[in-house]
Amino acid sequence: MTALYQSTVTEIGELVPAFIAEGMLVFFGEGAPEELRDFCIMHEVSHKQDQVTVGDFFAINDQEFEILAVGDVANENLMNLGHLNLKANGNNQADLPGDVCIAEVELPEIKVGTHFSITRR
Amino acid sequence: MADYKAVLIEKGPGGWGGPLTILPTDETPLIYCVTGGGIHPIAARIAELTGGELFDGFKSSAPFDKIAVAVIDCGGTARIGVYPMKKVKTVDIHATSPAGPLAMFITEELMVSGVKADNIKPID
Repeated sequence: MTALYQSTVTEIGELVPAFIAEGMLVFFGEGAPEELRDFCIMHEVSHKQDQVTVGDFFAINDQEFEILAVGDVANENLMNLGHLNLKANGNNQADLPGDVCIAEVELPEIKVGTHFSITRR
Repeated sequence: MADYKAVLIEKGPGGWGGPLTILPTDETPLIYCVTGGGIHPIAARIAELTGGELFDGFKSSAPFDKIAVAVIDCGGTARIGVYPMKKVKTVDIHATSPAGPLAMFITEELMVSGVKADNIKPID
């Protein structure tokens, strides 16, 4: 198993629950402008190695979700900005270029200090 | 006092919204760039044509009421809605359409997407 990306949540914006209710987690790396912090999960990257592709796994705490689709600009967002739009919508094709899709599941609880990672088996 | 000029920004191939007229003023001088990897060429082009002041949103933060236009490279969910929500005119480099929890704030008067250099035209 190879770790492609590892990070820790540092801050959770006020509007994050509204996005979770729609099955979305919006992440941004440190340095994101103030105005984005309200609806974002801010995080501090500890490791980034490679581009994410379909079939990789997104893990929060001990739960793992297979990645079903990766939008055209998702990797660019992730590598440059630590920005990720994770959508639990079960789509095999990304509706929007920034999307990374997983199965339609209930998203796990996220708190400051929660670890998440993307791995390849 | 700077000499500002207006530009018309139309949607690009597959894009949505607009056209937007952008005219910086002394009160709203900023071409606010919130894209990965520094100032995007589209933001630089708008600044060049309008006389607006380039500002990198990832380096520091600016008050919303100073922004003439925000330039983003949003894949469709988050940044796409934040600036329209604050009534800031927004140019998305990517050809996205309104979506996500903030979609209700995104209107054709406030956003244009898929913008390429050719879609930015000076207004005499």
